[in-house]
Amino acid sequence: MEIKGSVALVTGGGNGIGEAVVKYFAGHGAKVAVVDMVQKNIDRVVKDVQEMGGEAVGIQANVTIEADTARFIKGTIEAFGKLNIAVSSAGIIRDGTMLSLDKETGKVSKKLGFDKWQAVIDTNLSGTFLTMRDAAEAMVNGGWPGLLVPISSVNKCGQVGQINYSSAKVADALMPKIIIGEFLMRGIRNIRCVAIAPGYTATPMLTGMNQDALKAILEDVHLGRLVAPEEIASMIGYCVENEALNATTIEITGGLCYPKGIAK
Amino acid sequence: MESIRYNDMEFSVEKDGDRWTLTYGLPGGSKAVAGAGLFAGLSESEARTRALALVKTIFPVGVRSVGPDVMHPNMIGDLKIVGPDVAHPNFVYWNKDSVSSPKDL
Ligand SMILES: NC(=O)c1ccc[n+]([C@@H]2O[C@H](COP(=O)([O-])OP(=O)(O)OC[C@H]3O[C@@H](n4cnc5c(N)ncnc54)[C@H](O)[C@@H]3O)[C@@H](O)[C@H]2O)c1
Repeated sequence: MEIKGSVALVTGGGNGIGEAVVKYFAGHGAKVAVVDMVQKNIDRVVKDVQEMGGEAVGIQANVTIEADTARFIKGTIEAFGKLNIAVSSAGIIRDGTMLSLDKETGKVSKKLGFDKWQAVIDTNLSGTFLTMRDAAEAMVNGGWPGLLVPISSVNKCGQVGQINYSSAKVADALMPKIIIGEFLMRGIRNIRCVAIAPGYTATPMLTGMNQDALKAILEDVHLGRLVAPEEIASMIGYCVENEALNATTIEITGGLCYPKGIAK
Repeated sequence: MESIRYNDMEFSVEKDGDRWTLTYGLPGGSKAVAGAGLFAGLSESEARTRALALVKTIFPVGVRSVGPDVMHPNMIGDLKIVGPDVAHPNFVYWNKDSVSSPKDL
């Protein structure tokens, strides 16, 4: 599939990896729907696309709400007449260990709040499911060639302090195998699905992380620096163009090895 | 181009080269962008028609599920607040403006 002339929808398109993906697609001749919860970020990204000579709509929406998902899919098709690429980059972190102990008594002093569990599962897993499901529905009914891109994470392997996040991301990484298996079963041949599992990437999300832990993790990255969001975006662009890539999850981490890091 | 008023929101469709930019007013007086570089080569009236169809899709009026949803009921004291079941066949999610929808029902 060619990027030029395609229509792409990017959730979380107002910041970080999503923003880089929007600009990559717009720069390569796709029309793009920028979906995000934060209107001022949408405004900034849509204006940047305009300055690049591209075409974009901005749709403020919450990916965890089913009616919002239906609205941004319909809005994209209303604006551009079709949908070819759906990237689910909206995501959050709410880190913390499941239990914390009181140093003196050795008893549990704090539990990871259910609100922290639920918010991450809702956004990173349910949000991705809804976007992938409704984008696929539109692509099947429209008969358009399509690519679904759930954004997983290298921490799908299980990161301490991220029971909520890792649980969501390992599930996101499984989606391509399941979705494409089901498409094969149902005779749906026009849509592919490739998940991307980024390593530690230089976006505002990392400012919410424990900075000491981040520094320690960087020592385990062969590349010796954070991955750039643009590097993730160009990998997604490659996935659009290479039709043999399907039903798989690609890690792009700069060579994260975790020998001294925390994940096992 | 004259602005479009739809469901108490004010939209402007401005020409930018041979394309159109769609913005709308926010409560504080600032502006938000709904789209840029749109409707290449379309005339003013065609762009206006397309813009209106787009805003009706992006900003539907009527039942909107905000707050607690059916999957995650909230407890306020003994009261269980359950949001709308958006998958239910009787769930109404309309995208007509608030003036015309009662007539259509
Ligand atoms: N940055 C990293 O190191 C890294 C590594 C691996 C995976 N990821 C994943 O990549 C994706 C993008 O991360 P990022 O670093 O660009 O984050 P980011 O915080 O820079 O951007 C995320 C965007 O998603 C939006 N968003 C959050 N919740 C939303 C919701 N409910 N509805 C709509 N929009 C919502 C935010 O407003 C924000 O604009 C996430 O899924 C993240 O888990 C990031």
